[in-house]
Amino acid sequence: MSNIYLPKSASKARIKEATNARNNRAEIVKAYSQGKVSRRDLIKWGLITTGGLLAPIHGLNPFVTSAYADGGSNIPTGAPRSPLFGTLPFTQPLARFDVLSRDPITSLNPAPQAQANQTQQPVPASLGGGTGPIEGRPPGAIWAHQQFGLLPPQVAISATMEGAKVNTVYNPGVASNFNSGIDPTTPVRPRFHPNLPDQGPLALWTYNGTFPPKLMQVRYGGDAALFRLTNKLPADFSQNGGFGRITISTHEHNGHHGAENDGFTGAYFFPNQFYDYHYPVVLAGRNTVNTDATDPRAGGPSDSGGINKIPGDWHETMSTHWFHDHMFSFTSQNVYKGMAGMFNIYSALDRGNEELNDGVNLRLPSGTAKSWGNQEYDVNLVLADKAWDQDGQLFFDIFNFDGFLGDAMTVNFFYKPFFEVERRKYRFRILNGAVSRFFKVAISDASNTAQPMIFIANDGNLMPSPVVLNQLDEQGIAERYDIIIDFSKYNIGDKIWMVNLCEHQDGKKPSQDLTLADALSGNSADPCVGKFLEFRIVRNPATPDVSQVPTTMIPNPDLSSIPVTRERVFEFGSGGNQTTNDPVSTFFGPWGIKTDNQGPTLNADYGRISAAPKFGTREIWTLQNGGGGWDHPIHIHFEEGQILARNGSASNVPSWEKGRKDVYRLRPGGSVTLTMQFRDFGGMFMEHCHNTVHEDNAMLLRWEIDNAGGAFLKALPTPIPKPQGVTFEDPDDILPTAF
Amino acid sequence: MRKIDSMGIALLAVMALFLAIMACEARASTHWGANYFPNVPLTDQNGRTFHLYDDLLKGKTVVVNLIYTQCKDSCPLETARLIQVRQMLGDHVGKDVFFYSISIDPEHDTPEALKAYAEKFHAGPDWLFLTGKKEDINLVARKLGLYFDPGLNRDGHTVELMIGNEPSGQWTRNAATDNPRFITSTITTLVDGWNSHKAVAEKSYAQAAPLNVSDRGQYLFATRCAACHTIGHGTKIGPDLIGVTAVRDRGWLLRFIQKPDELLAEKDPLAMSLFKQYKEIQMPNVRLGPDDTESLVRFLEAQSATKATGVSSTAKTDEREKHVEKAASNN
Repeated sequence: MSNIYLPKSASKARIKEATNARNNRAEIVKAYSQGKVSRRDLIKWGLITTGGLLAPIHGLNPFVTSAYADGGSNIPTGAPRSPLFGTLPFTQPLARFDVLSRDPITSLNPAPQAQANQTQQPVPASLGGGTGPIEGRPPGAIWAHQQFGLLPPQVAISATMEGAKVNTVYNPGVASNFNSGIDPTTPVRPRFHPNLPDQGPLALWTYNGTFPPKLMQVRYGGDAALFRLTNKLPADFSQNGGFGRITISTHEHNGHHGAENDGFTGAYFFPNQFYDYHYPVVLAGRNTVNTDATDPRAGGPSDSGGINKIPGDWHETMSTHWFHDHMFSFTSQNVYKGMAGMFNIYSALDRGNEELNDGVNLRLPSGTAKSWGNQEYDVNLVLADKAWDQDGQLFFDIFNFDGFLGDAMTVNFFYKPFFEVERRKYRFRILNGAVSRFFKVAISDASNTAQPMIFIANDGNLMPSPVVLNQLDEQGIAERYDIIIDFSKYNIGDKIWMVNLCEHQDGKKPSQDLTLADALSGNSADPCVGKFLEFRIVRNPATPDVSQVPTTMIPNPDLSSIPVTRERVFEFGSGGNQTTNDPVSTFFGPWGIKTDNQGPTLNADYGRISAAPKFGTREIWTLQNGGGGWDHPIHIHFEEGQILARNGSASNVPSWEKGRKDVYRLRPGGSVTLTMQFRDFGGMFMEHCHNTVHEDNAMLLRWEIDNAGGAFLKALPTPIPKPQGVTFEDPDDILPTAF
Repeated sequence: MRKIDSMGIALLAVMALFLAIMACEARASTHWGANYFPNVPLTDQNGRTFHLYDDLLKGKTVVVNLIYTQCKDSCPLETARLIQVRQMLGDHVGKDVFFYSISIDPEHDTPEALKAYAEKFHAGPDWLFLTGKKEDINLVARKLGLYFDPGLNRDGHTVELMIGNEPSGQWTRNAATDNPRFITSTITTLVDGWNSHKAVAEKSYAQAAPLNVSDRGQYLFATRCAACHTIGHGTKIGPDLIGVTAVRDRGWLLRFIQKPDELLAEKDPLAMSLFKQYKEIQMPNVRLGPDDTESLVRFLEAQSATKATGVSSTAKTDEREKHVEKAASNN
């Protein structure tokens, strides 16, 4: 078996070249082994290196990238192609997200509390025995829920993390005619397609252990949520099916919450423990803007159709988040293994009701039955590439650190499904839930013509104005793009397809973006290029489509009157010879972050504090890609930023990036300059590459909001979680530029 | 400057074989066992031969990094950091945890060269420094996820540690230069699932108070210097720095701290004599800026003055010293 795949359509020249190279190489090896040429001869001819290896020169080695560059590939990473067992695309319906129920707080036993619940329980011998606390959150005041009394939880959302099992309580949130006819009472098996085997309980770990992925629905307006996640994974870390870690930490990406609820990478917890995450769902600026809560645009939907007004800046309203595991060093393995869900936030502006006309509601496509949170025409999609072994069980290469690519495209974890739609407008909230793969989405009709989409939200934040696009920008890992597709112009019986144009050869960065025609040609060596989701136009809507896509949605917050306290530069580097100003920055390589152009590129140590912005200030951060060989989607936790410039110039910022963002795709060799504010909550947060393989391998740093506001940094102790209870280390390694 | 040669025929052939094996044996009890790791022979500093999988990985918890003895950059610091980790692990090393440093320069790194290197660092006999055939080492590096494209890294290797527990198939990577207490925590966790999680000083929430860091020099010393130096507590890998600011010319000291590699390359007599005196372990360039170096020298001055008079000027300094000493012993 070869580890190179030439595309089916590889040019004759390329195939000939590769064949020749193989033959040449075989002859040289033969001649050498038979003593017809000496090693010295080969070195002299430049055919082998002094180390004895065949020189990687073109025409000699078939594995060297061709001059014709029509792309061999090595996908999936570290494994042969995933067997499809004859499965054809678009032969199963897309199951919509499984909505987690919203329960009264009184349903939680024990009741949630501000500081972590330290009630003791026995710890299994496999985890060291003895006793340990029932809640895995670090104890003490620093890790207590901030403003727990002021913003007490109103709704409980509970889930477990466990191995794959059959879902008998699927709640799609819509009737079956809005879910491609899926009968929710039919058990949902944990499999990528009915033709493919069930995933075993060690192969797949998801929220509640089941498919489809989970959706949390929350809202602004004093409706704080308490998410209780119970770890029901095996109490033996060898029981992981080859990858994944039984200790977990959940990040609500990009929640504006206290750090104790942020899924801090070092605040992980163990099997048999729970962790209470307190999501107050507040507007940023609540201590300084609209403090008397009089602006009706700043609020959440009430059950009766009104608005519950809250303090804060309505320009900071967020709509589409996701939640996923953030375990130190194991994020990529755990997220890939299934630990990902989505998180829709409903607001006075974006309430998930397309009919209610109160002068504030933007009336985006959603539905009309409920006051808020209707999903008939508001659809969550998570895109991810997966790979499985010859028995159909999920596979991951834990020793590859350039990035992992799968060869099977999934939507909501289902292999290339179809989705039935009515002839009207729909909203799709598209999440890139891959480990290392970038997507670039276009829509094609049957004649291979690109179809328009209306881009309404970037990273889940409604744009100042919608942007009409024939293809979306590249979408990095963790980025969310919300789009509107209007199916009213198609006929019943028509089909159109979502197509991926972004081709990879490895997990470092996209190799190229194809034209729609090339992506549809089937010639790409990347199996995840091409059609991956089929829309079937099946009927007219029962009632007319009253949804709107207003020309003005949410203008950006005006920061012009807020002084810039500090500028910082973070360089996401890899190799020394790729940085422009410091030829030796690879000191701690391979992946790392260099802060303020000073000192070495540092690997992740969550005990080290790299930046400590002062509470209540605004800063400008420049994120620089230290090399051209990789792309890094950089995620800064906690608050949305605005992109001021790309590669130093505001004119390089495309229209669809002129809203608010939390993931910044640097592009190879590129930079992004952004501004953000630090307010409302304090504590330790992270900034990292969301190519989770890079993140796990040290492209992560910790920053803190210094809520003391003093002259010196007050570094917080670093938690060291154990089943018997969390202990602490002194904060050990504080960068000089942190204060 | 070293470079690893590109991956070649042997490796590619083995990769292809690996893929074939993966295809038939994907259901083996662990994905990352005999069916994954090559069983190539490696030779230690005492000339003993071990097979990678059977003798070095199978059934063990291991800490593996790549070094070469002529490394003038990160390896000495990496090794010094690992010495600290080794000390924290105490009796576990050689019994529950096995340390392997594999040379990526087998041409120069004979068993004798590795033995001399291990002795310089007082690595102890239970820490294996391994060499072997170049192509075997490349393969091992790749399989352990420690390989890095030599075209992208001036050292031709990563300063990463692979920490693994072979029976459970749990592998995690850390920077070898990371906080040694953190590395130790990670290792002990892998050894037996928290049973012996005692190697690192543990603190309760109440004991681990937030820290006000007010002296940059103190911080720099604790994080960049203390792996190899003490102030008034004797020679470690490098000299005791007490009084160093009095005996050395200030300009020279600043330059040496900032760019020891440059002074050595110029064959600066003082730098050369220190190099000889301290077993020819080259002081690494830890990338301090001019301001950092100034702060550090001021800190050394203040520490030396305090200790020389034998009287703590203030209780505060005392506290600070205690912290630094603790950091020095912990770091």
